[in-house]
Amino acid sequence: MRTVEDIEIRFPGSLAEALAWQADEKTRGRPLAGGTDLMVQWESGVAAIPERAVSLWGLKELKGIRETPRGIEIGAMTTHTELRSSPLVREKLPALAAAAATVGGRQIQNRGTIAGNVANASPAGDLAPTLLITDGLATAASASGRRDIPLAKLFTGYRKLDVRADELLVSFTLPALPAGAREKFHKIGTRAAQAISKVMGACRVRVQNGTIVSLAVSLGSVAPVPVRLPELEQWIAGRRVDLNLLEEVERRASAEVHPIDDIRSTATYRKWVSGRLVRALLEA
Amino acid sequence: MPATVQTRDPRWVGQGIPRVDAEDKVRGRAQYVDDLLVPNGWHGHVVRAPVPHGLLRGLTPDPAFDWSRVVVVTAKDIPGPNCIVSHDRSMPVIASDEFLYAGEPVALIAAPTLRLAREAAEHLRIDFEERPAILTLHEVADQFKHNDPALVKLCGQTIRKGDAEAALARAHKVVEAEYTAGHQEQLYIEPQGLVAEPTGDGGVFIYGSMQCPYFIVHELCEALALPPEKIRVKQAAVGGAFGGKEEFPTWLAGYVALLALKAKRPVKIVYDRHQDILYTTKRHPVWSRYRTGLNRDGTIAAIAVDFLLDGGAYLTLSDVVMYRGILHAAMGYRCDHVFVNGLVARTNTVPSGAFRGFGAPQAIWGLESHVDAMAAAAGMTPHEFRLKNCLVQGDTTPTGQVLKWSVGSPAVLEKSLERCRFDEQWKKCSRGKPGAKSWYGIGVSFFAHGAAFTGDGEARIKARAAMDLDWLAPGRPGGIVRVSSTEMGQGALTVLSQLAADGLGLDLSRVSCPFPDTALVPNSGPTVASRTTMVVGSCVYGAAGKLKKALEQFAGKPIASGKEFDEIASAYLNKHGRLRVEHLFVLPPGTQWDQKTFRGDSYPGYSWGCNVAEVEVDPRTLGIRVKKITAFYDIGKVVNPVLAKGQIEGGLVQALGYSVMEKIGIDRKGRFDASRMQTYIIPTMQDIPEMDLDFVEFPFDHAPPGAKGVGELPMDGLAPAIANAIEAATGLRMRDLPITPEKLYEHSQKNLGR
Amino acid sequence: MSTVKRTWVVNGERWTVDLPPGRRLLDALRNDLGLKGTKEGCGEGECGACTVLLNGEPVTSCLIAAGQVPDGAEIMTVEGLEKTEGGRILQEAYIERGAAQCGFCIPGMIMSSFALLSKTRTPDDAEIREAHAGNICRCTGYEKIIEAVKLAANRWPEK
Repeated sequence: MRTVEDIEIRFPGSLAEALAWQADEKTRGRPLAGGTDLMVQWESGVAAIPERAVSLWGLKELKGIRETPRGIEIGAMTTHTELRSSPLVREKLPALAAAAATVGGRQIQNRGTIAGNVANASPAGDLAPTLLITDGLATAASASGRRDIPLAKLFTGYRKLDVRADELLVSFTLPALPAGAREKFHKIGTRAAQAISKVMGACRVRVQNGTIVSLAVSLGSVAPVPVRLPELEQWIAGRRVDLNLLEEVERRASAEVHPIDDIRSTATYRKWVSGRLVRALLEA
Repeated sequence: MPATVQTRDPRWVGQGIPRVDAEDKVRGRAQYVDDLLVPNGWHGHVVRAPVPHGLLRGLTPDPAFDWSRVVVVTAKDIPGPNCIVSHDRSMPVIASDEFLYAGEPVALIAAPTLRLAREAAEHLRIDFEERPAILTLHEVADQFKHNDPALVKLCGQTIRKGDAEAALARAHKVVEAEYTAGHQEQLYIEPQGLVAEPTGDGGVFIYGSMQCPYFIVHELCEALALPPEKIRVKQAAVGGAFGGKEEFPTWLAGYVALLALKAKRPVKIVYDRHQDILYTTKRHPVWSRYRTGLNRDGTIAAIAVDFLLDGGAYLTLSDVVMYRGILHAAMGYRCDHVFVNGLVARTNTVPSGAFRGFGAPQAIWGLESHVDAMAAAAGMTPHEFRLKNCLVQGDTTPTGQVLKWSVGSPAVLEKSLERCRFDEQWKKCSRGKPGAKSWYGIGVSFFAHGAAFTGDGEARIKARAAMDLDWLAPGRPGGIVRVSSTEMGQGALTVLSQLAADGLGLDLSRVSCPFPDTALVPNSGPTVASRTTMVVGSCVYGAAGKLKKALEQFAGKPIASGKEFDEIASAYLNKHGRLRVEHLFVLPPGTQWDQKTFRGDSYPGYSWGCNVAEVEVDPRTLGIRVKKITAFYDIGKVVNPVLAKGQIEGGLVQALGYSVMEKIGIDRKGRFDASRMQTYIIPTMQDIPEMDLDFVEFPFDHAPPGAKGVGELPMDGLAPAIANAIEAATGLRMRDLPITPEKLYEHSQKNLGR
Repeated sequence: MSTVKRTWVVNGERWTVDLPPGRRLLDALRNDLGLKGTKEGCGEGECGACTVLLNGEPVTSCLIAAGQVPDGAEIMTVEGLEKTEGGRILQEAYIERGAAQCGFCIPGMIMSSFALLSKTRTPDDAEIREAHAGNICRCTGYEKIIEAVKLAANRWPEK
């Protein structure tokens, strides 16, 4: 019977060393960030206990938040605490900052990372909707080079990502909120704090003279992966914001999702509240 | 220096002094069971039934595994009869031929490491034949409603006053509704854990986390084939219990004791949270049906109640939970014609058990929801209706008990309504008004809670407390409280110390109240039923007074100061050695109780309470936010106001969880579905409402200095107050706990469909 | 089983441990260092009873692989509180206000209080609630803990 103590956790001195290990099946390990998801899954038997793990936590190359021409670049090992308190993130990616502040309690925010949250690939992952609305990129590195993955294509299925076994997520590049646009994040959880979502959503919207120029809206916990609502986004562009529109938005958003029953909520409530949520996100 | 100190002048009672165990706790020095070193100790693990009901054909050890490294115990190893002596003898310690719930023990394993014990368990094949199972309250409630003979009734009891059916037939209006609530997990933060060590004389020493040391002794002595005195039980610091460590630790004690006796070494089992939620007792799910009749003048003509509890697989103590439930199911209101029909049904789930309130919250949930329905039918507001019909001094309860003393009604009701300006706020309720940004509602509940054991229970168990005059330290004599009552967080050690000090007329520093050890303490009864401060506390107070008198007799003069006590007590101890005095609790004169018909004085006294809840419901999401609770309580003489408020605040937040958060069902394998803290949701600091709490004191004179129970009372009334407030906010009447946005949505859709 | 060696400063004292890297920091503290003050309530980072400060920040020690705690890391547990003025003030405030009942959540709860007051001298109600939202208490209803934190904030040392 194996336990977490049997895992050979290795501590690379650099990203290059980690990538070299990951390149070879014999030295490759399960990437381990802050441990807030994986330690639970290993201890509880939800995830199989691997032979090896590679700890990315201390790698300086994976830390930091900076502005680049392509957008805000966020290192993979950036914690939720860093996200919610970074002036840059708060100004340019306010929905992400808001979402990071709803993850677990302070203790979890101090250890949980952006890459860990994404790589866990849970449909209830708190950050995903706020990442998806930016149309940004994830960058994966391997010993043979780097690859940008549009976030829209990153989540491929329930707990599955388009990241190869020899690759590590190293950063996210998220276009900043454009002038004249606004962002919102809202989570409907099981309680006021430390809640896993029943449904959550984020939107980035640009309204000019009362007319919607563009909308990006994303929901979590309503499908095996976090989703955008392309039909609604397409339909809404160019329309005037008024009560009729909001009612139609509610109807269409609700119609576009197909959630399930689970321990936290019901399919019917999720479907209904998805519409309510998207509507609330659009209401100024 | 004062000339005299009046022994009977309370000096400590009434003071919110800090807890005697607070310092250890904030320094991280309090020793809970998992903090204790167990030299040469092994770890125990329980092998469990994989399905909810089956015939056990055998256990097949894997021959490839090296069994010499572990010790295995099965039902065949039990020296005495294979049963836990609870309210019946139906539940085995380890299943032998049939198991009745998923997770019932079929074997026990001990090994030098927990890992090895678990590994061994994986190599033990359980051969069984699966049988059909009943898993939910809804199934048994349906069976009950349709008189289905398949319903397995574990026990039943009725209460009759007048002729309810005839009164219903005559009534001006009849109001009928059903109310349900699911399981609730105690979720003490310290999981269950015990250690057993074989003693030299063939007996066993059991210590750890528990509420009732003597339960373990008396419930296990048959199975272990040991005389009670060979089972020594000692409590360690307990990290919360709430009833969850009342009867369950006996089961666990059975596991560790059997393993320790066979392995001939100490064995410890500390559950992890997942095991703790899956395999320990919970609050009984309830289905109740109220049929009530109203007179034209808005008085109550009749109350008829069916009260059904899901007892789980075995009776354990469900009969008494149901008794307390039916005794509270029609309590609190004037009515000449009452019929309450209580029963406990079997399901193939973990036996339901004790949890703060012990049946009363389940009963009051239905009753106080239904009172709002009656008020509406009578064309009255909820508060007018309650003020008009509530029991007051001199009135008669459903069992025929005349409320002669210490009646905090209508005081608690009047004061609560006034404090929160109920009348004004009631008019502001939203009632589901379209277009509102937020829906506001206010709701009230009013209730009594029987203090101490039901009926003549206190007389039957002959609870007694002792005070020892002994050396607290070399050269420092003092009084040591000797009771089996336990500290589990509620503050018993502090309150009993206060009472002992006042009984002796001395400073607190001359009193000590250690954790109970059955080798040293008389049986003051279990730490349950809101009886510790009232009953045991009164015995301690009485014993301390007797101790003082004995010393005064020895000295031939009154003891007027601590210094005099030190001199006289030292002289006594040097001459005679330790002195023990005991005091027995006596029920009020004239107490009568018929256990067959449930007629008479069902409790020696009642605590009274009123809760007002103010809620906001978000029309966009139907999210429920409890904003404020206003509450008044009569718990008699308040011994320690800080601790008493702490009990109320904590109990109300547990009740908040019961009302709107804590949801746990049974999955397809017959196991609890929300079996981790990630899925079993209880309130955080962010979820708690503003609380405006106060006491009105109606002392109970038959147990000096006059305290009544407080522990369970705060759990009793919040759920219906919240449901009543939610109806005022949304126009939706919710009759199933917990009330969630999902249920509100479903209910709103049903209403639209009509 | 391969092990790693780590040297930490725990409650102001240097400790060197040699342990499997996947051992939970909680187990390392309780069993390797014998610091039994820190408690395990759930083992999945939900209850916060195992909260310790890692370089001044609260973390749930049940979710940290000890090997991931680097050499030189400063760890503070409930046992270290009384070595600091603020810690003693907090302990007194918890006692005075009746903030501990069963006491099992307290070793974690009070570390969250310490982390909060170390950074925010006069936290408002919302800040107090947020700072402790990762610590579950089943006894107190939190009210007395909030009172204790406010009392300690009033008495907190200037520097």
